[in-house]
Amino acid sequence: MIQGLLLALVAGSLVSMQNVFNSKVNEHTGSWATTALVLGMGFAASLTFGLIFEGGRLFSLENMKPWYWISGAIGVGVVICLTLGIRLLGPTYAISIVLISQLGSALLWDSMGWLGLNKVPFTSQQLLGVLVIVGGILVFKLGGGRVHQAASEETNETSSCKIKNEARGA
Amino acid sequence: MRGLLFALLGGACITLQGVANSRISQDIGTWQAATVTQLTGFIMALLILLFVRDGRRRGLSQIKPLYLIGGAFAAVIIFSEVTAIHQVGVTFTISALLIAQLCLTFLVDSKGWFGVVKQKMKLPQFIGLGMMIAGVIILKF
Repeated sequence: MIQGLLLALVAGSLVSMQNVFNSKVNEHTGSWATTALVLGMGFAASLTFGLIFEGGRLFSLENMKPWYWISGAIGVGVVICLTLGIRLLGPTYAISIVLISQLGSALLWDSMGWLGLNKVPFTSQQLLGVLVIVGGILVFKLGGGRVHQAASEETNETSSCKIKNEARGA
Repeated sequence: MRGLLFALLGGACITLQGVANSRISQDIGTWQAATVTQLTGFIMALLILLFVRDGRRRGLSQIKPLYLIGGAFAAVIIFSEVTAIHQVGVTFTISALLIAQLCLTFLVDSKGWFGVVKQKMKLPQFIGLGMMIAGVIILKF
């Protein structure tokens, strides 16, 4: 369990760094050029690590199901949804809702055990935990106090690409 | 209203990426899953780029090389996220991931690292992070 926690923390820290770097790229080029570059880099890195750790087994894909090939499209869907969401709601509200939706769908997925993942039974303790986290997200995002909040609303584009880059493949 | 739907769908898709990768990795291995999904996503983004042409290729040469390789983090992100989901489930993984993500972003924003616009963090941000950590503790203990 500690190992799982640490891995999740590593992943979250890298997502944050990636968002910063990707938004820097997005300042100089368009959203789709950024997305293509990010996914291309992700592919190159995954291929390299895969060859190091798995060698030739990386290419033995017998158990491949057809839908696995198009799962990369989910990342493209993320970019489209976040771009439109941010355009219609502004970054602060859109990102708050995105974060809450991430957690809500995670809880739903665990409870249902869809796609053959281990089912984690839904308990009132879990619901309470998620509600407290959601409250924390709302206080963090909407609580005000961040001096440059108003300025960052104006540079809509910059803030929006920050979160959009969460599309990152994954 | 449409904005709300897009934001909800976007968030659900981010979680779905992690879940789909976990599922795929059970059948073909984690590095294989990362390689395949990044490749197909890359091809799709490239095709869309050909249609929308928002490239401004000259801009790319002005970007620091460090920032260009940000995408490569995805390999480690996917491996860590998939392994965590297998070990502790989706909810706990996403919760811990979001906390680390917001904490580090909070740090980068408040220090103005990497030339981002410096933002002063105040009490609400600290309370928010505290509540999120409390929520994760409630989830698991």
